[in-house]
Amino acid sequence: MPGAAAIKVMIVDDQASMRAMIRRALQDFGFVHVRDKGCPKEALADIKQDRVHLIISDFNMPELDGLQLLEAVRKDPVIGKTVFIMLTGSADREVVQKAAALGVNNYLVKPFAPAALKEKIERVFGALT
Amino acid sequence: MRRQTIVQGEHAVIAEPDVVVTTILGSCVSVCLYDPERRMGGMNHFLLPQPVGGSLRGIADPQRYGIHAMEVLINALMARGAERSRMRAHCYGGAQVVAGLGEIGAENVAFARHFLATEGIAVAHEDLGGRHARRVEFMPYLGRSRCLAVREAAPLANVRVPVPVPERAGELELFG
Repeated sequence: MPGAAAIKVMIVDDQASMRAMIRRALQDFGFVHVRDKGCPKEALADIKQDRVHLIISDFNMPELDGLQLLEAVRKDPVIGKTVFIMLTGSADREVVQKAAALGVNNYLVKPFAPAALKEKIERVFGALT
Repeated sequence: MRRQTIVQGEHAVIAEPDVVVTTILGSCVSVCLYDPERRMGGMNHFLLPQPVGGSLRGIADPQRYGIHAMEVLINALMARGAERSRMRAHCYGGAQVVAGLGEIGAENVAFARHFLATEGIAVAHEDLGGRHARRVEFMPYLGRSRCLAVREAAPLANVRVPVPVPERAGELELFG
């Protein structure tokens, strides 16, 4: 199992407050390499330049939503297998189904407790050390 | 003038003239956001800042958390054409109405201020803290709000209670 410190993460959310909250939670879990972007297009360009192991992305964003970002990631031959966890609103059942069809690794309904985020990450990566 | 009342965990987005959104606040906070160019705005009403630790504090309605209530309100405004960069805020509530509720009001106040600063949303007016409940009236189309002090001890915003008659003295009207 990889230690949290070895996992590179990109947080994508148009709300700076949510990015900051997730960043704090990840740092509490032992993550060291955490980047974040408010713009999905910028995030995509950034992770193509410097790959990450995990993308945590909001669904509801202007310009490019989380599903479109997921699709773009999955279509890319280099970063296509990056672990992708989607954050959704409570009423986005249809979004979750579409995300699953596009190959999302897990999803989390907002608002969530930090421990719930850790659990979702551990379901993909195993116990964080 | 049509009145639309919201309670905790709810929000309203209005782009029509002659509509007033109202709510009653104790330790809860309401943020009124508006886009003066689009002449539209909305109000939320949240109970706690955000989930902590491993639990949601047993609260089922996600909009009772500020972190979610703010996102829902901003997204709802943007979906109807508002621009985040133009948004301005009026903030109300966060009182310590009854001893024994701890610092919930202060936590909500700190959250609202920090959230808006982080998101770069200008606060045109705030009436936060203190010890009295508030009745807030917001006219989104005009970007105007006013807050009436509710002197009676009963109206904690955390529970659905009959709306008390607000005291007219101390009324404040704003022209945001």
